[in-house]
Order: sequence, then structure tokens, then C-alpha cells
Amino acid sequence: MNNILEMRNITKAFGGVQALTNVHLEVAEGEIHALMGENGAGKSTLMNILTGVVPMDAGKIVFDKKTYVHPTIRQMEAAGIAFVHQEINVINDLMVYENIFLNREIQNKWHVLEKKRMIRETEELFERLGVKIDPMQMVSELKTSEKQLLEICRSLHANAKLLILDEPTTALSNEEISHLFGILKKMKQEGTSFIFISHKMPEIFEIADRYTVFRNGWFVSSGPISETTPQKMTTDMIGVEYAEKDVYHPRKLGDIVLRLNRLSGHGFSDVDLEVRKGEIVAFTGLAGCGASELMQTMFGVLPIENGFVEVAGKKINGRIYQFMRNRVAMLPSNRKENSVIPDMTILENMQIAEHRLSRKKPVIFRREEEKKYEELKEMLHIKAEDPDAPINSLSGGNQQKVFLAKWLNTDADVLLFDNPTQGVDVGAKAEIYQLILEFAEEGKTVLINTLEIPEIKKVSDRCVVFYEGRVAKVFEHEEIDEKTVMMYSTNAVKAAGGNKNGK
Amino acid sequence: MANNKTNNKSGVNIGKMLMQSWSRYSYVFVLLIILIVYAVTINAGGNNFNSRHITGILSSQNTVIVGTIAIGMALVIITGQIDLSVGSALVLCTGVTILVYNMTNGNVFLMILTALAAGLLCGLINGLLVGLAKMPPFIVTLGTMLIYRSLTLSFVREIDPAYTGSSSSQFSMLSDMASYDFLRMKFGTGSLKIGNIQLPYITFLFVALTIFFIFMMSKTKFGKSIYAVGSNEKTSHLTGISVQWVKVSVFVITGLLVGVASFIQACKIGNVTPASSGTSYEMYAIAAVVLGGVNMAGGRGKILGVFFGALSYTTINLIIVSIPQLSTDIQDTFQGIVLIAVIFIQTVGPVIREKFVELRKRAQNTDK
Repeated sequence: MNNILEMRNITKAFGGVQALTNVHLEVAEGEIHALMGENGAGKSTLMNILTGVVPMDAGKIVFDKKTYVHPTIRQMEAAGIAFVHQEINVINDLMVYENIFLNREIQNKWHVLEKKRMIRETEELFERLGVKIDPMQMVSELKTSEKQLLEICRSLHANAKLLILDEPTTALSNEEISHLFGILKKMKQEGTSFIFISHKMPEIFEIADRYTVFRNGWFVSSGPISETTPQKMTTDMIGVEYAEKDVYHPRKLGDIVLRLNRLSGHGFSDVDLEVRKGEIVAFTGLAGCGASELMQTMFGVLPIENGFVEVAGKKINGRIYQFMRNRVAMLPSNRKENSVIPDMTILENMQIAEHRLSRKKPVIFRREEEKKYEELKEMLHIKAEDPDAPINSLSGGNQQKVFLAKWLNTDADVLLFDNPTQGVDVGAKAEIYQLILEFAEEGKTVLINTLEIPEIKKVSDRCVVFYEGRVAKVFEHEEIDEKTVMMYSTNAVKAAGGNKNGK
Repeated sequence: MANNKTNNKSGVNIGKMLMQSWSRYSYVFVLLIILIVYAVTINAGGNNFNSRHITGILSSQNTVIVGTIAIGMALVIITGQIDLSVGSALVLCTGVTILVYNMTNGNVFLMILTALAAGLLCGLINGLLVGLAKMPPFIVTLGTMLIYRSLTLSFVREIDPAYTGSSSSQFSMLSDMASYDFLRMKFGTGSLKIGNIQLPYITFLFVALTIFFIFMMSKTKFGKSIYAVGSNEKTSHLTGISVQWVKVSVFVITGLLVGVASFIQACKIGNVTPASSGTSYEMYAIAAVVLGGVNMAGGRGKILGVFFGALSYTTINLIIVSIPQLSTDIQDTFQGIVLIAVIFIQTVGPVIREKFVELRKRAQNTDK
């Protein structure tokens, strides 16, 4: 089979950080090629290079027998490469056929749109692919899965020869996934090639023909999917374990302070969990596995649909303020959007949550606040000079410490940390985890939601793995092992089991 | 050589300090520049610029009435919203206030209570629709702007002139009440003489309100939550702040301030004409807020700035009035130009500064 795409010796650095080093990728005509790797492995950088969004430092791309060294977005689009992003990119206020023909509308010689012809062509396209959508429907009325199909059809209609699908199944149900896969197979037979990015092992083994694995910006392995196993692929992705100084040591835990009873909400269901005073519990799983939503529900951000949350023997149901009064705190993910108040100073950002709890005393006393600030600054090793400097004058890691301080300042006993090391450098990361251990030592109960399994291994007493909104497995500290956790969070366990049954 | 170096350094420091104080207190500089222009035009006209002109600025209705409303407008804008209904609400509140005054035989206590209650109600309606029903503030207050004025217009014609105090579609305070002299002559238009300067009594009220709101915005937890909501609504919500009630409350406070302003209007002017009084006051209030350095995008701004902004705005008007060759019709053109110029400096200034910093960095790099 001929290769439609060859990417050779691609190298790319952002500032001083090496994102890709000498990687290869080959995709044959009419195949579905799985591109695998952990977050930060370099997949999206490579795809951005391929689509001309990011220029490469070295290497070359051969696509459809033409060589590109400095590709532009327009060139690659014209050559027939289409990127279907994870966030669906269709226009809700237009009809289906209008989306298909967006920017490529058919006009007659008077520059009037030929509506009938466009609708007919859309119908033909859908029939060929087995897509059951009415071309005249408003896109806003479509289901998520239909929007996804629409986007794929649009790329195909634009004569795309290679489609990049970035985690196309995260928003789809199992039934919708198999429908999508049916269509992909049909398109494959017509000669279209796919680069398929997904973290879900069972899917990869169902749909892909070949695979390529990256780790930390390096090429690791490649080959036909039939010659590998989910276990081997997981090892390729995370690498052979490296030894590290273990800072963890078992602590004496207190009584149960937090209880989830058959808790259900947006994106997760039937979660039972009991956490003791002073315990550190980690949540992990793929993006969209429901762990972040669970954490938000435990803080009143999202509503409880069923079951209950009990803190210190008291059922809590209500808004964020209720949870705060019962000494729960949550450090949300996505710091810039959910934590930073950009127009405020470091001191103000640190005090704002405590203000809410002490609003019965409405006046602010500067001297008291400064004292508190100095204490917290010392305790968390925050590198800041002036409490009145803007929050954005600090580095990411220091900002995150200010927000840790903001919640410690509320005297919370249960601390929920949603992806606390997102966007902070390696040094600050280690410091934050060291702090988490110190909090637990002082009797705080800490829950962390993170994708970084080595970090979990360092700090947590237990690790709860989520898959599609349900608890897939709970590990004790000794049992936490990157490979096993990864297998459960990608449901590779099931895929491996399925393979065995098949044989 | 060493001397040279230190000199250089102190020069840089003074420049830096000037730069900093300019960006922090730009509203003071704006007022100073406008005052200088005012003095120059007065002197060019053959008169001497003196304390009477300062008194004129302080007692102008553009300072005390628009300024009082502008404080409320600033709070609304700091939360990232807008209130277009304040001018109409002022007319409605003043009308009701004068009506109650005339009907209760000049009861000052009831008059003040009415002014505040009417203002509160006007603000509460805006607040509930915007904060709780989550409708866009621009549309809601555009609607209430039309409603408040037309209500006043239509009921002024229906009411017995014995109560409205005038037969010409106007609310006017009846001068035969016992408290009339005190309210109008003493409080409304009188002034305290300190040395050479006459300080109008109503200006003290405006200054007192300014001080109170400076305190509220910088020294109370409620004030901080207003800034927080304007700066990052999502974070505020995730910090347990009730974003919707903060939004409702700034509209209610604005309403109360409109109530105070309507009491001032009654005492200072003595009447209100629903068809023409208070037109475009919402725009004047926004102008004062902007001249005071408050960011229209929300999250940033000082009440002290609004105080200076109101004075600047008044002075701009007085400059135009003091040039006899200019008709008053052209007034809004000049106001518009000054407003755009100030905003231009505010928005383009930082961009230019950044460019300079970048250029300097590049120059340093090549030096190395």
C-alpha cells in the first residue's frame, strides 16, 4: 500500500522546551492510523505542524507525493488535510446543508445561491456514507454525535484525503460510537485515510489498522495493531518506571469525615466513597471520565442528581457557600479562568474567600490581613515581594500557591484539588505535592483529581480510577502502579479480556 | 563618571514615578489640564479666573446631581454592566418627591423618605430583571428608561395642578410651605463661606457620599466582592460569592443614589419637567465615570476618580459656555470630542508604553 503521508525527522522546540525530537509518522492510503501518547507527548504539536498552524524547526512532510518544508494552513487545506477538533466546530444557527457548503457555496452567474443543488448534493453525500440527517434541519437541533458526523462529512465534501480525528468519541454514547465507526470504515474503503487520536484502548483495537506511539516528544514504536497488545502499548506510552525518592510515609488516619453515598450527577453515577480525616485520596481517569464533575458536585458547583454528600456527619446539599461553611474548599482546575481575579492584588486574591465567610464583620482590617498574608506566605513558600502587586505578576506556580493559601485561609478541613499542578513547572509541582502531604499531616483531608499517575503514587493513600463516570477500581497506596492504573482508566482491562475471549 | 551614573538613575526614577502616578491618578491630571484650559479661556475673555469660578464648578448640577448618580453608575460599570435608566428614574423620583412634598404640607422627612423609596424601587426593578432573570442590562435599562419617563409624562397631566404645583406639565415645589425657605434658599442654593471661597451646602452632601463610597469600595468585604464580580464572574461564583445578588445590589444602590439626586434636584432647582429634565443624564454620568478612569469592561476603577471625573465633566461644560462665540448647541460636540480623547489616551497609552518597553529591551539586547 502507498503512503499518503510521511513525516520525517520532525523537530520542534518552544522556547527552551523540546516538544518533538526527530519523530516519524507514516500513514498509508485508506488506513486508520492511531496516534498514541500521554498528555504532553507531542501529538497535538505534530498535528499542528501537519496542518500548518505551527512551523517546524527541522524535518519534512511528504503528502500526496508533494514535499513540504514550510507548509501554511491554506496549502495543507488545499492539499486535502482536514482537522476535526475535539470541540465541535459547526455553526448552530445555520442549516445542515449550509454548514456543508460553508465558504464554498454554489452560485449561479448572478451570484445567487443555488439552494436546491446544494441540498441535493448534501443528500447524495449523506446517502453514500449512510448518514441519516436531514439537510434542511437547523444544526442547533442536532445531537452532539450528529454534529460530529456533520463536521466529518463537511471535511470529506471538501475533498479531504486525510482526516485528523482528535478524540472524536468523548461526547458519544456506545451506540453512536459504533455508528461513527461504521461510517469511518465505509470512508476508508473509498480511500480516505485517518489519523485517529484517542486514549480509549478498546476503541483503538476495534477501529485502527496501525499505530504510532510517542513519549515526551520522542518516537517510541509503530506497527500494525494486530501485532501489539493493550499492555504493551501502555508500557510504550508511559515508559519503564524510573526510580524516585519516595516522600510518602503512612500516617495515622482519623474518623470518617467525608462520605459519598450512591452519588450521581452530571457525568458520573453511583459513586460510593468514605474518606478519613488526614487521608489523601486521588481521583484519576481520562478527560471526561467524570472525576472533575464529581469534585465540583462535592462543592455545590454542579447539582446532586441522586444520593448524598456527608461532611463530618452532616448531609450537605446546596450552593457553594453551604459547602464553604461546612469547611469544604475546592481549588478548581483551569487556574486562569476559575481562580485568578486579574484586576486584584495578591493580598485581595488571597482574602476573597475568607471575606465571604466572615461577612458578618463587614469592615476590612488591613493590619490583620497583612499578618495572615505573611504567615501563609511563609508556610507555602510563596515567592512574592509586595502584597499589593497584581496577581498576574507572579509565575504560575506561585499563583497556584496563592490560591492554596486562599482556601487554607478559610480554615477548611476537606480540601478538594482539581488538577492542582496544571500549568506549573516541575519544581513548583514537587513543592505543591510536598505541601499537600504537610496539610494531611496536620489533619486536613485532601482529595486530588489529576491525570499524572506518578504524582499520585508519591502522595496518595488511595487512588480511585474512573472510567466513563463510574468507579472502575480503587487502589491502596502499595497497589498504585502506573501501568495498572492506566489500564483501568483506558479500560484496557476489558479490551485485553475481549481479545482473549475472541481467541 | 560615578556621579553621572547616579544622576542618570535618579532621572529614570523620577520619570518612572511620574509615569506611575499618571497611570494611577490620571483623573487628577485630566481635571488639572481641563482647569487650566478653563482659566485660560476665562482670562482670554477679559475676566479674571477666581474663586467664584471654583464655586461655580462645585455647585453646578452637573457636579452634584450627575456626580451623585455617577457614583452609582460606577458601581454598576465596575460589575461589568450598564444602567441607562438613571436619567428617567431621576425625573420619576423627583416628580414623586415634589408631589409628596406638596401633598403633605411640606413634610421634609416624608419627602426624603419618598425620594429614597422611589429610587430604591426603580433600582430594584432593574436589578431583579438583570440579576435574577439574567437579562442583558443594556436592554433592561433601555426599557425602563423609556418606561420611567413616559410614566412621569403621562401622570403629570392627570394630576391636579394644586398638587403638582404647576399647570404647565411640570412638578414644582409650592413656595407657601413652612419648610420651603429652608430647603430651597438655605440648603438647595445656599453656601458656606470659608475665607474667600463659597462652598455650597449640597456640595458637602456630594463629598460625604463620595467619602462613604470610597470607604465601602476599599475597606469593606462587600466592596471587594463588587470588584471581584466585575473582574472574573466565574471565579467569584466558585469563591462562594452570590454573583446575582451583588448584581442586584449595585442596581439598588444606584437607585438609592438617584433618590438622593432627586432630593438635591428638588432643593436646588425646585421643579422638574418630565419632558426635558434629566435627558441624557445617563450619558453624562457614564462620561463622568469614564473621565474618572473607571474601566468600562469592569473590575477596575476608583470612586475618588468618579468624583474628579464629575468635576472634569462640569468644567468642560463651563469652558464651552464661557466662550460667547459658541452656541450651546455645539456643546455636546465638544463633550464628545473630549470624551473620545480621554478614552483614546486610556486605551492607546498602555499599548504605546508596551512598545517602548519592548524597543528598550531590544536595544539592551543588541548592546550586549
